[in-house]
Parts: sequence; structure tokens; C-alpha cells
Amino acid sequence: MDHIASLMLGLGNGGVFAALALALVITYRASGVVNFATGAIALYVAYTYAGLRRGELLVPIPGLPKTVDLGQELGLWAAGAIALALAAVLGALLYVVVFRPLRDAPPLAKAVASLGVLVVIQGVLAIRQGTNPVTVAPIFPNDRWELGEVLILSDRFYLALTVVGLAALLAAAFRFTRFGLLTRATAETQTGAYVSGVSPDRIALLNWMISAVIAGVAGILIAPVSPLTPVTYTLFVVPALAAAVVGRFQYLLPVVAAGIAIGMLQSEALRLAAEYDWLPQTGLAELVPLIVILVALLVVGGGMPVRGGLVRQPLGRAPRPRSLLVPSAVGTAVGLLALVATSGTWRAAVIGTFIAAVIGLSLVVVTGYAGQVSLAQLALAGTAAFSLSYFTQSWDVPFPFAPILAALVATCIGVAVGLPALRLRGLTLGVVTLALAYAIEAVWFRNADIVPSSGARVTQPSMFGIDLGIGAGRSFPRIEFGLVCLVTLVVVAVGIASLRRSALGSAMLAVRANERSAAAAGINVVRVKVLAFALASFIAGLGGALLAYRRGVVTFDSFTAIGGLALLSTAYLAGITSVWGGLNAGLLAGTGIVFVALDRWVDLGQWFTVISGVLLIVTLITNPEGLAAAGHEMADRFARWRERRRPAPEPGDRVPAVAPVEAVEPVVGAALHIDHLTVRYGGVVAVNDVSLGAHSGTIVGLIGPNGAGKTSVIDAVTGFAPSSGSVDLAGRRLDGLPPHARVRAGVGRTFQSLELYDDLSVAENVSVAALGGRRTDRTSAVERALEGVGIAHLHDRPAGQLSQGERQLVSIARACVAEPRVLLLDEPAAGLDGEESTWLGERLRDIRDAGTAMLLVDHDVNLVLSVCDHVYVLDFGAVIAEGPPEAIRSDRAVAAAYLGVMHDATAVTA
Amino acid sequence: MTAYPVDAVAAEESAGGPRLECRDLAGGRGSTVVFRDLDLDVQAGSVLALLGPNGAGKSTLLLTIAGLLPYKAGRVAVEGEALRTGNPVAASRAGVVLVPDNRSLFTTLSVEENLEVARRRGGPAPRSLLDVFPALERRWGLPAGALSGGEQQMLAMARALIQQPKVLLVDEMSMGLAPLVVETLFDTVRQIARDHGAAVVLVEQHVQLALGVADEAAVLNRGHVVLRGAAADLARDSTRLERAYLGELAPTP
Repeated sequence: MDHIASLMLGLGNGGVFAALALALVITYRASGVVNFATGAIALYVAYTYAGLRRGELLVPIPGLPKTVDLGQELGLWAAGAIALALAAVLGALLYVVVFRPLRDAPPLAKAVASLGVLVVIQGVLAIRQGTNPVTVAPIFPNDRWELGEVLILSDRFYLALTVVGLAALLAAAFRFTRFGLLTRATAETQTGAYVSGVSPDRIALLNWMISAVIAGVAGILIAPVSPLTPVTYTLFVVPALAAAVVGRFQYLLPVVAAGIAIGMLQSEALRLAAEYDWLPQTGLAELVPLIVILVALLVVGGGMPVRGGLVRQPLGRAPRPRSLLVPSAVGTAVGLLALVATSGTWRAAVIGTFIAAVIGLSLVVVTGYAGQVSLAQLALAGTAAFSLSYFTQSWDVPFPFAPILAALVATCIGVAVGLPALRLRGLTLGVVTLALAYAIEAVWFRNADIVPSSGARVTQPSMFGIDLGIGAGRSFPRIEFGLVCLVTLVVVAVGIASLRRSALGSAMLAVRANERSAAAAGINVVRVKVLAFALASFIAGLGGALLAYRRGVVTFDSFTAIGGLALLSTAYLAGITSVWGGLNAGLLAGTGIVFVALDRWVDLGQWFTVISGVLLIVTLITNPEGLAAAGHEMADRFARWRERRRPAPEPGDRVPAVAPVEAVEPVVGAALHIDHLTVRYGGVVAVNDVSLGAHSGTIVGLIGPNGAGKTSVIDAVTGFAPSSGSVDLAGRRLDGLPPHARVRAGVGRTFQSLELYDDLSVAENVSVAALGGRRTDRTSAVERALEGVGIAHLHDRPAGQLSQGERQLVSIARACVAEPRVLLLDEPAAGLDGEESTWLGERLRDIRDAGTAMLLVDHDVNLVLSVCDHVYVLDFGAVIAEGPPEAIRSDRAVAAAYLGVMHDATAVTA
Repeated sequence: MTAYPVDAVAAEESAGGPRLECRDLAGGRGSTVVFRDLDLDVQAGSVLALLGPNGAGKSTLLLTIAGLLPYKAGRVAVEGEALRTGNPVAASRAGVVLVPDNRSLFTTLSVEENLEVARRRGGPAPRSLLDVFPALERRWGLPAGALSGGEQQMLAMARALIQQPKVLLVDEMSMGLAPLVVETLFDTVRQIARDHGAAVVLVEQHVQLALGVADEAAVLNRGHVVLRGAAADLARDSTRLERAYLGELAPTP
């Protein structure tokens, strides 16, 4: 019975989580944005409502007076109506100013933009309203009902009932109104909306307004129950996200049920913590969302639905460092100079910059290189910091082992929690890491049983008798500690720059660009993502350890969940895709030089986070690379100036002299055999009992009208489409193997859409697919592939700058670099003119002569008939003819099917 | 049940000037230019078959006219009024309706709902489309994803028709469909042009079928029009057609 009582108590919070989760689902379905700022919107509306009830209109704009006196207090309905109207305005504003311009941006950019909005709203309100809790008159009658032995508070019950009613209303509206119909339609395909004469833009705008109003309702309803403070309300978004995950960000009623359940479970958790001593006394409630998310991900499986996409912007260049020696030397010298030339607060700021840069660099690895959002970097740094206290105080572990051990703790926690999310695509890791940060702060950092209320002491580092600590009193901050930080920073920075130049770094960027084609290039995507997150956790741990040493006593306020959000937004603004950006992040951080300067000279300290939030949003809209872009531009211009003094090969050279191809061992007898291959998509048979063979040293052509099933054959052979029948390579069955395993077995392919990484150079694009453990092996494989295809002169050119013909050749070189036994080419002549396709034909013949078996799919009939040794013709998924090119050219049945010239419209066959 | 209205526009022939006009049009995807200096005229009530091998730029051209892709140079005009580049909403308002090659149906919505989405104020009700496509009656309440290929294509055409298009662009209607179904669809296209006065551009792979229903035909190869003329003439001259496809003809000025 006690259980039921405590569950019922959670109805209040549960209702709010449910409402916020509704708002989250609506914005996600309408525009593909995970709106982390939903709680902040609720916060604004709650404050406005509270003000109106007191007779004041809240003015959130800096510079203007904080409130406007309305002369009389407003009642519930009037205040509520006005507050909700303002909510709608806010929702519209957010869409028009922030999210519509980001319509075609990658999901990562949209999520970070919502974090920027969160930081701005929460920051402005915290500064102007202060952090003292505001109380509001109750909305629902506050009775105590007794059901047998169970006590239920009526206001909580009515709250949950209101939300359920609202959800039912919304569900009905989405099902039965025209607006709901248009929303459901637009959520599935934007193109479909356009060709139906519907403007997806207007639908999205209305949905954003509705979502803001619902978030506002949540804020107003909870205001009488839970004291109104900026941080609490903003973080309500975490349990709401958990509820949304359970409903797959799609279905309204399950999401509401989940939200209410989470509220009830939290309340029950509080009761259990009070009853059982061995449970953590604080934070058990905050653990509930994290557990719910992890369970939901493991049980439900698939991630969030992704909409039929349109053209996407690139994420921002991650330029390859040309050399490591000079920048490292210069950077170290500058750091040393900064340490020596400053003292007191300024030197402390320099040290703060170094430490923040280390943590910023951890974000470069996981988000900038691998494209995964992690909102737990600061929390992971915190786990290392608190672990460090334990290791140095209780176990007396000496420096430098203690910080490394502490960083390993952070790594283990990070990987354990991140693993379920990393198996999935999309923003799931972002949601999981936010829940992790939220939970860890409550369960560990604020837990009075684990951490003494005065903070966790850390023994200052010393090595070989030299005191390396930061010192106290007049000797604070000591230069020895500054040196420790500088050395750590340089090691981490050089390490990350080397990572960028390594195969793993290229693999990470490939995963960031497109997980599917990375898999096709033979990359084990999950492994790469886990490595990136593990590395990032370790580096964040190092940063946390340094922070712990710097402060001497570790407290939770250095490592809050909100702080972690501000960190991501600052780092993104600074430029998250390169080492230079990571260093920038250090400069811009709250402990860094820029902040201290602004605080001292311009007294902007409080507004710092808000300003950086606004700058972040502006930067995202105008330039996805962040502030580091300026640095990259300059470096690029410098490099081009240097190149001009060296004669470079003519880029207009269409038919360059082909260097002699290094003889590759011809793989004798390696043949691809496809038997009775059938591919079905739902009820449609795309490939119908196709059998064909390609022997080494031959080119086999596959032609047929659009929709005949040619790409499906390639997809089936390479493991991208499920199929029945057998695929056999040199005697080995490939059925059932995942794509990257087939690549290793010797199957290479190109894609119609090429899927090159515009951020990387030609050589890097190709090396992404190079197998082989040693760098020298990979480098020479890349050279051979580039020469074999005739584009060795394009080695360092960024792929984004190439012509269509050159891009086709890079794609082919990438498929060739793993020295495949059979090469499947999907429309390699697409977009080429006559001269280029002749040249392509010659290159293909070179590759064939080196011994590879090739399957060529193309619509350029001339090319196919001139280059292939044997041709198969597909129509409606089945082979209708095969033979040498001359036979096919004169086969009237082929002409009928493919060219449709002799097809008789009156001959009706089944 | 209100019958599908025969468009009054069909009665008044376009007073001078084509219904759809492209002049010196250049366009492509991303930074690649797929077609350049392209001229195209289609009169109201007539059907133009746009033929050619893949990679020639046919689908890209249709997407550009419909505003789903921006054009890089030149002009697209409907009844003399130029369309803004890259603005599908404006194109739709001007009466340009595209039936894309992948149909882009709302697979989770029912047949009726698919039509309801595209319904215009003052325009025909969804049920009236059953006059033109009676076969959809049996599937009225089913989700579009459960329909056969032929039925889906019919639904896509019906969804275009309910918008009473002035310019109808159809991309690869016959793809993957059985010959009998294709015949019915082609007859409907003819009917739409004749009875409702729409200017129709038909991109097709099945050349002879397309020539059977079209008034004029043009062959696009590598972004240029290499052959143009009355459909009946081209239908008789299969050698010239083959040469156009194989890229053996130079672009027509």
C-alpha cells in the first residue's frame, strides 16, 4: 500500500514530464529537431505566469526594465491565456530565427542549436529573475483523498488528469483535423508535401507554436507544486527525453504514459532510498531517467526515426594538420611565455585555459571527428576528479599514476553507458549522455554519504620530491603546476593531431560523414564510435584530474549537468572539428582568459554564457565550423601562396599520361558466382532469380531500364540488401556476412551517389578503405590505387573541389585500394561527357588487365558495349538476355526492353 | 457524388504563347551542371514526351521546373509568368504539379487521406477522382503503402489531378509496371491533357508507348536536346531514335 501511495505522489511530476515529452515529440516530428530547450521554454512561461498573477508582466529583454506593472493582479485564466499566447510567440520566434535557417543542417547542428537556445533562455532568466525560488498560488484544490489506506493528493491527480486530457485532445486533433493530416504527411516525406501543394514550412511553424504552448502548460501546471528555479525546470527535459525515447519520438500516447510512469517511479525511488540504507540517499530519483532510457534502447532496439532527407550542409572542415613539429613547438613556447609573464589571477586564468582546452579537446575527438554528441564530458571529468580524491587520499597512489587511474575510471563509465547508444545512429548518444550527466551529479557528486559536504580533498601532486601542486596563499598559482598542465595539454593536442592523420582518424571522419558508406568501405562503424568515445572519456578524465588538483578540494559545482551543456556550446562555437578549435574552447571557457578579461575589464561575467549562446546560434546558422574557421582560412591562404611558388600540375588536364601500373599479382581463378539471387522489398520483387558470373580479368556488364534491379543486385552482393540465393567468391560463400566483412573477403564497390568525404583529401578518401595494419602498407596501397586509376596528381586535393569525372575516379580508386578480387561499379560514367567516358573506359580496362574481376552497371550503352567482355540484360528484375557485346547490340529483344523502340503497345502479355 | 469537373480552361485555347516555357535553362544538383541552354515549349492541352538515356538530365529538369531544385541560369515561365528559382510552393501555386519517379506517396496515410492532403480549396473532392481511377475504390481506406505498384502510380496521378494542374510533369510513370497497367495510365494522361487542358511533360523510358500518346517528343542526351519533332514522325524513324540514344547525334541548335 505504501508503494501505491508513493507512486501516486509522483503523478504531479509525471504529468509535467509527460507534457514536456509531448512537446518534444511534436517538434521532432515536425522538423527533425531534438529540442533540448523544451524545459527552458516551460521555465519562461512559468515565470511569466507567476508574474502576471502578481500583476507584473515579465520583460526578458536585457537593457529594458525587468517587469512592467499592470496595475492589477490577474486571475488564473487571464494570466494563463496571456502566458500561453506569449509561449506561442516564443515558439514561432525560435522556428523562424533559429530552426528554419537550419532546416537542411545535419541533426547534430540542430541539436546544438537547441542547446544554445537553452543556455540563452536559462541564462537570461537566471540573471534577471535571480535564483530564489518563486512560489505561485495553487491551481487545483489541495485535498487529501483516502482510498482505503492510500492517501492521494488531489492536486497531483488533477495535474496528471489534465495532461492526459491534453494528450488525448492532441492525438484526436492529429488524427481528425486537416492540420493534423498535413503534419502526419509532412513528417513522412517533405517532397511528398511539396508535390501535394503543401508548404512544410508553414506546418513546421504551427507545430513549433503548439509545442511551445504545451511546454508552457507544463510549466504553469507545475509552478504551484515545485518551487520555480531556473535550473530545475530546465532539467525537467531529461526525464521528458527519457519518456520520448520510450515512445520512439513518434507516438503520443505511449510517450505520455511513459512520462507519468517515470514521475511515479522517481517518487517510489525516493521512498525506497529513505527505507533502505544501502541505497544511495540522494540521486536515486535522478537515476530513473537514465535507467529507463538504457532499458528502452536495449529492449525496443531501433533508434529515432529519420525523415526522408533533403540536401545536407557539410559539418565543417576538419583539416589535416600538415606538420606537427612547428605548431607544437610554437604552441609550447607561447604557453610557457604566458605562464612566466603572468602572475596571480592572470596566471590562474592561463592555467584555467590549459585545463579547459584539454576538456575541449576531448569534445573534438568524439563530436568533431566522429560526429557523436556527448553531453557528459564535464560529468566524466568530474568522475575522474572525485576518483582522484579517493585514490590520493585513501590509497595514497602517487602522481602520475593517480590521475591516469582516475581517467581510466571515467573511460570505463563512459563506455559502459555509451555502448547501447553507440550501436544506433542519430542523436541517441546525446540523450543518453545528458541523462548520465544528470544522474551522476545527483547520485555521486552531490551525495553527502560519498562526498563530504565541504568537498573532496585531493593530495597535491609531487614527483621525485618536487612539489608540483598549485600552492596556496602568496605562492598561488605556482609555475610548476602550470607546467604540468601545459605538458598535458601539449601531449593531448599532439596526440589528437596525430589521430587526425592516422587511419583511425580518417575512419572517424568517414563515420561522421555517412555511416552507411563507411561500412561499405570496410569500416567497423560501432568499433570506431566506441573507440572515439573511450578516447574522449579518457581525455576528459585527465582534464578533470587537473581541475581537481587546481582547486585542491573538489565540489559538485565544477561538474554540473548544466555546466556540461554550456561546455558543449562554447566548444562548438570555438570550433569543434580541429585541434585549433579545441584550444580556442580553452580560451573561451569559463575559467579561461577571455572570460577573466571580460569580467575584469567590461564586467560582463554574468552575461558570458548568454553571449556565447547567442554567438553559437549565429555561428551555426552562418558557418558550421565555428570561430576556428577564421584560423583555417588563414592557414589555407598561406598554403595556397606557398603552392603558387611551386609549379603545380594543370588541374584541367583531362587525359594525363598514365604512370605504369605496378604489377599486382593476378588473382587466378577468383570468380564471383551469383546463383538464383532474389531480392524482395516488402511485396516488390526487385531481383528475380538472377544468376551470373564474373571471372578474374574480365569485365561483365549489367544493363537494363531504370527499376530493372541492377543496383539491387549490387546491394545484395555487397550485403546492403537481404537476399536469398547464393553469392560465392572464389569458392567462399558470402551470404549472411555484414558489409565490412565482405569487403575484407575481397568485394569492392562504388555507389551511384559516390559518397565521398568532401572534407578529406583524395588520398585520405581512398585510405579510409585501405586495410592493413602498418601505415607504410596502407600508404603504398593508396599510391597504387591512385596510379592505377590515373589520378596520382590529385593526391592532396580536397575531394569537395573535384570535377564530376575526377570524383568518379576517386570513388573507383577507393574501391580498388583494398585490392579486391571483384569490383562492382554502380554507374561510374554518370555525369561524364563523351571524352571523359572514353578515358574512363581505358582506366577500367587497365584495372581489368591487372587481374580484377569487374561487374559494371551503367546506362551509357556505348561505354558498356565497348568495354565489357560479356553483357547481361535485366528487365523487371530478371535476366532477359546475355552474351558478348556484338550479340547484345543486335539483339532485338534487348532493344525492345531497354530502348523500347520495337515494343508494340498493342501486344498485351500478362 | 460530384463528377470530376472538366476544366473550363480547355475550352479557351491559350491565347498566344505556350503554357510552359523554358528558355536557356541551366540546372543540376549541387555544384554539378546537368543541363545547359535548354529550351522547351509546351502548349496547353498537348503532351510532350521527354526521352533519352539516364544521366541525360530528364528527372533533374522536371525537379527544376517544379522548383524542388534551383536553376542556375535562364527562365521558367507558366503562362508567361516567370517562376522564382528553387521555390516549390510558388511553382505549385502557379499550377505546376510533379509526379516524382518514386511517387513520394504518404505510405502511412490511406488513399483517401493522400488525396485529402492535396485537395485545394474550391477544388474537386477526393471522391470525384474515382471517375478517372475507379480501381482506387477498392483500396479507399487502406494505407498507401499496401497498394500494388500500379495502384500506387494511379494514386500518385490522382493526387496530381486533384490539384487541377496547369502544367503536369510526370517522371517515369511506367517504371516497374506491367504493360496493361501502363496502357491504362497512358490513356489517362491523354485524357487529362485533352479534357482538362493541362500542358503535360512525360519523361519515359518506354519510347514507343510514350510516342503513342504524345503530340511532340524531344530526346535529351547529356543535358542537350538532340532530337525534336512531332511524335508521329519520330515513331516512324526508329534508326534516328536509336542514334539519338546512343549519343551519335549532335545537339540541335
